Amino acid sequence: MSRLLNNVHFSVIILILLTLVSTLLAQSNIQTNVVAILVTLSVVIKGQQIVDIFMELNRAQAKWRWLLLSYTILIPLVLAIIIYS
Amino acid sequence: MTNILLFDEINNVPATNKVSEKKLPGDLAMWIFIVMELTVFAIFFIAFAVTQRIQTEMFIEGRATLSASTGLFCTLALIISSYFVALAVEAVRKGNNVAASRRLMLAMFSATVYLALKLNEYTTLLELGYDISTNTFYTLYFFITGFHFMHVLLGMIILAYMGLKARKESYIPTDCNGFEAGASYWHMVDLVWIIVFFLIYIIH
Repeated sequence: MSRLLNNVHFSVIILILLTLVSTLLAQSNIQTNVVAILVTLSVVIKGQQIVDIFMELNRAQAKWRWLLLSYTILIPLVLAIIIYS
Repeated sequence: MTNILLFDEINNVPATNKVSEKKLPGDLAMWIFIVMELTVFAIFFIAFAVTQRIQTEMFIEGRATLSASTGLFCTLALIISSYFVALAVEAVRKGNNVAASRRLMLAMFSATVYLALKLNEYTTLLELGYDISTNTFYTLYFFITGFHFMHVLLGMIILAYMGLKARKESYIPTDCNGFEAGASYWHMVDLVWIIVFFLIYIIH
């Protein structure tokens, strides 16, 4: 099994687990800054997995990889700051 | 890297693996299109967040009419769909067009689950009397999710086309840029939904 396949398998498990955990946290009615940070962080990590593993930009030129990564980092952070702050 | 390229030109030898490893999947036009699409969605996301900040009560009430479990299963359906598309790309690179076609079928089946869930959610909301003109929350909700829904439909058409070409054994491992470009578009649709789910169903 190639390295790519291993990464894709691992990545899909991470994506599913993070989705389940962030949904449970959001539905738990525990409204703390820690929960808000964890949920936002989970979106950033999921975005990174899609960009690096599914889109395979971890093998592309750095400028393209970081263009997409900056989107997945900045947009959830900006949204969280607007809503939570 | 520059030295490697110069060496290759002077000696007229094939590019080294190090150079080919840095290749952008698909073609440049698709990536420019993806960046443009992501920018448009980013504007909608920020508009939604700013409006929520201004009209907090309306958004809390509006979000209460949505089902987080529907959002969750939509997310899982698109993640699994993207997973099968990534596996299809791997199959094409190994020259296995039949496996790629089957994996694209599974990806489209998973995407159909998303479509069914979203249509059910739209129908439920409309039956309850909520539509795009009810208030700002529903205007933005229907606009953002509807715009994304159309992207999923377009993506499924692209996947179906890729699947048909794969079934005809049209892709070869050394020339599958079109396949990679279609797959990248589908992953972009998944990436956008991850943020839609966070913004509309999760944040409160």
